[in-house]
This record gives sequence, C-alpha cells and structure tokens, in this order.
Amino acid sequence: MEIIERLLANYYYFVAMVLFIIGFHTMLTHSNLIKKVIGLNIMDTSIFLFFVAIGYVYEGRAPIILDQGGEHIYVNPLPSALILTGIVVAVSLTAYALSLIVKLYEHYGTCNADEIALICSQEDS
Amino acid sequence: MPEHLPVLIIALLLGTSFLLPLLARWGKNYMFPLTAFSMSAALVLSLYLVYHVGQGGAFSYYLGGWPPPWGIELYVDSLGAYMLVVLTSIGLPVIVFASRDIHHDVREEVVGWYYTLYLLLIGSMMGIALTNDLFNLFVFVEISAIAACGIISIKEDRKCIEASFKYLILSALGSGCLLLAIAMIYMITGYLNYDYVAATITGALNLYPYNVLIALSLIIVSFGVKSALFPLHVWLPDAHSSAPSPSSAVLSGLVIKIYAVALVKLLFRVFPLSLYEVIPLLDLVLFLSVLAVLFGSIFAMVQEDIKRMLAYSSIAQIGYVFMGIGLFGERALVGGLLHIFNHAMMKSMLFLAAGMIIYATGIRRISDLKGIGVRMPLTMGAFTIGAFAMVGIPGTSGFISKWFLALGALDLGRPFYVVVILLSSLLNGIYYFPIVVNAFFGIKIEPHSEHKDVPAAMLIPILLLAAGVIFFGFFPGPLLELVERAITL
Repeated sequence: MEIIERLLANYYYFVAMVLFIIGFHTMLTHSNLIKKVIGLNIMDTSIFLFFVAIGYVYEGRAPIILDQGGEHIYVNPLPSALILTGIVVAVSLTAYALSLIVKLYEHYGTCNADEIALICSQEDS
Repeated sequence: MPEHLPVLIIALLLGTSFLLPLLARWGKNYMFPLTAFSMSAALVLSLYLVYHVGQGGAFSYYLGGWPPPWGIELYVDSLGAYMLVVLTSIGLPVIVFASRDIHHDVREEVVGWYYTLYLLLIGSMMGIALTNDLFNLFVFVEISAIAACGIISIKEDRKCIEASFKYLILSALGSGCLLLAIAMIYMITGYLNYDYVAATITGALNLYPYNVLIALSLIIVSFGVKSALFPLHVWLPDAHSSAPSPSSAVLSGLVIKIYAVALVKLLFRVFPLSLYEVIPLLDLVLFLSVLAVLFGSIFAMVQEDIKRMLAYSSIAQIGYVFMGIGLFGERALVGGLLHIFNHAMMKSMLFLAAGMIIYATGIRRISDLKGIGVRMPLTMGAFTIGAFAMVGIPGTSGFISKWFLALGALDLGRPFYVVVILLSSLLNGIYYFPIVVNAFFGIKIEPHSEHKDVPAAMLIPILLLAAGVIFFGFFPGPLLELVERAITL
C-alpha cells in the first residue's frame, strides 16, 4: 500500500517514466522510420517533463521578484532554463533525422527500416 | 593569459567553424588554410596547456566569471589536457588528408560544410574533455553527436545516409539516457557541478539509493552506446565503414574514445569510489570489455571490406580502454588511457591508408589487395606498421599500452585478463597479417595498371602518424608521465 501512496504523491514522476519507456520502446522496435522519430520525441519530452517537475515547488510562483514586499515561495527556475536548451537540442535532432528520412525515401522508395535492410542485403549478394 | 586558454581553444574551433560557410561563398580557396590554421593553433595551445598544468597543477575557468555552483566551470587537469593533445594531434593530420580526399566523396558545394562539421566535432569533443558541469556535458555530447552523424551523411550515398540515421537514433537514445541521469542526480543533490555533486552525493546516497543507482546505470548505457561497448556496438560497423575515409578515421580514432574519457571522469570523480565495492559495476564493464575484445576480433576476421574490418577492429580496441577502466588498478588505468592515444594514432592511420588505397585504385575488397604493396609501397608500409601496432609487436606503440594493461591485471592478481589480452593479440594477428603478406608477396591476379597518382598532402599525414606509432613505441616516456599524472584525477 505504501508504494501506491508514494506513486500517487509523485504521479508526475511516474507518468514521465511511463512516457520514457513508451518512447524508448517505440524508438527501438518500430521499423517505420517516422515512428522512430516520434518515439525519440516522446522520450525526450518525458525527460523534459521529469526535469521540470523536479523544479516545481508546491504552491510556488514564477521566480520574478517584484517590489511588493512579502515573503513568497518561488519555483526553482534552473530546470526550466536547462530544459529550454534541451528542447532546442531535441528540435535540431528531429529536424536532422527527418531530413535524413527524406533522403532515405528518395534513395530507397520506402520509410521502413526492414525493407531498407532487405534491399541492402539483396544488393550485397 | 593561460587562465583563459581552455575556453579560447574551444571558442577558436567553434568560431572558425561558423566562419567557414561564409568563406564557402566568397573565398573557397581560404577554407582549408583557415581550418588547418585553427587546428594547428589549437594543437600548439593544447601543448602549452599540458606544460602549464604540469608546472602549476590543475586549474578552473569560470565561464562569464560566474563561480560555481551558479556558473559553468571548465576544469583543466592532466586528463583534460592529455585529451586536448590527443584530439588536436590526431585531428590535424586527418583534416590535411581530408583536404584532398574529400573532393572525390562529397559534392563540391558542400566541401565547406565538411570543414564546418569537422571543427564543430573537434571543438565539442574538447568541451567534453574539459567541462566540469553535467548539463554542459550534455550539450557538448549532443553537438558532437549531430556533428559526427553529419560527417557521415555528407557523402550522399544511400548506404551512408542509412548508417548515419541508425547512428543518429542510437546516439539520441544515449543522449536521452544521459539527460535522465543528470535529472536524477540534480534531483537529489541540487547541483550540476561535478565537484559539488561529488561532495553531496554520499549523503544523498543514504537517503535515495535508487536514484543514484538508476543514474549510474543510465550513464553506463548512455556512454556504452556512444563509445560502442560490445553489445551496444550495432551502429558502428555501418557508420564507420561507409563514411568518407577521413570521417572514419576521426570517428574510430577519437569520437568513440572521448565518451570513455567522460565516463572515467563521471565514475571516478563524481560518484563515490566506495560505491563500486558494493555494486559490481566495474566487474560488469570488465566482462563486457572481455567480450568486446574477443568478439570484435572474431567479427573482424570474416569481413571482406577493408574498412568494415577496421571498424570491427575498433570495437575490439575500445574493449582495451574499457578493460583499463574495469580493472581499476593504477597501471591498468594507465594502460587503458594510454591506449586511447595509441589506438587513435594507429586506427586513424589505418583508415587513412585504406582511404588512400580506395582513392588511388578504388579497391575495397580485402581479397583484391594482392600485390598492392608493390604499387603503393609507402601507403602499404604505413599500413604494415599500423597492423603490427594493432597486434602489439614490441617497438610499436600498441605494445606499450597492452603491456601496461597486462601488468595492471597482474598487479591486481587477475592473470585471466593477461590471457585475454594475449588471445586477442593473436586474433588481431590472424586478420591483419594476411592482408600485409598478400599485399607485398601476393601474386597479382589482374594487373590494374591504371591508378591515380598519390598527392603528397594525403601521403604526409599517413607517414607522420606511422612515424608517431614507431616513435611512441620506442620512447613512451613523456606520454607515460602525462598519463600517470592524468590518473590521479
């Protein structure tokens, strides 16, 4: 029971991990190249979710200091700032992967990794 | 001045790489001289950094003047300085070779981009070697992943594109694991700086052991994929064999090693050493490295394409580096780290020699190489030196690192690993010697009389690297001293 209570208290970590595994699995097992890229994005997004969730403080507000006085709880801004960089990296990876897929489609006429492997092995023999 | 050098070297390479596309438009003839100039400058500055660190000890550079834990810290210790020298001293001859070779693999319009990607790759690897910040490590790892795929897929051959896509997906997976590991560490320590994490992680380990263990295993998977540790090597043979030859040289020689160095830094500087007495992590690395050393060679034996054979041989050779990490004795680690430089030198030389043969004659199949030694004596002579070094014949640099690995294994009372090293050397001999023997003494089946002349700009880098292999085989002293300082971390 304790495990379930803990999971409920930290459900966002749990969701992030489930997404991570979905993305990981899609990326490695799907033979469709586009789906591999989608899996990559799901995996990256789950890590971003996880990272941003670390920085959240319950009932905290955005860390902008206004001259109004009074004590406030602020969320940790560092994870969000880091993830901004992470998103940029993920976008460029995705763009590059998609451009490779376009080239692959031009050369092989298919987006399926198995079919491409088949064509390659026929060429070799 | 020296205190600004670490960031200057990286900024020099990254800055030049962004300048090159401009030149590609207006001054094509200046592209290679500029690249060569910034690589040579980086080499000189790295050598100076080694001297400086040797005199004054390790030092830090705070980017933007922000001290840690707020700012990013570059930390130049002997290991970092050693890696800078490895990267620049191998990177320079390879790019000189590329200046001629790349034109027959790549469309004329994108030659400029090749230099850009190459400098980005070398610059980001320097960042990996120097950084002292986990997130900065991630950023540099991603830059080098994209640049490394880029220098494969720039040859718009269908095999290259397929190989680089496979490489991209797997290395993106590795980067994802790394980022998750960083999140796990940040979650429990609240720091990203290596030193601050190291100071707080022991306390955090008692409170949240699972976080640390998951982070550790994710880091092993991440760097294992990226440096092609045996069962995670599936991307390497295609990527390294189909790429343009200079790219193969730099990928096999440098890119897979730098992740091993990053792993060494994380394992031995960030995580507490007492952890490895409890969990059998190093034994796992050791086990995988033994598999890599043996199976890499066995796979290499059955290859028909010469570059593919060299690629499989890289999987075996990276096993030695990981064996040094896994044994975790002083001399074993020296052997492993020394092998980074030695293997970088010989494998990039072998790839360049293979590239030279492909450039001049178009032959890729090993069985067609009969009699090639008579027609290209210098290239094949260098190849022979590289082959001897791979096997570990005394008098070549490959012998020194294997010798230290074997001594390290004996120090720890594990003679089994000496047997593994001997066995794998024999296996190396089985697939390298027939090529050499056939090249010089094989009977020509058909006389390919027509072959292109060999430009000096391609021959000189090969001969320089071959001379280096012999030189460091006879005089390993200065290198050893540097590596011995490096392992004090």
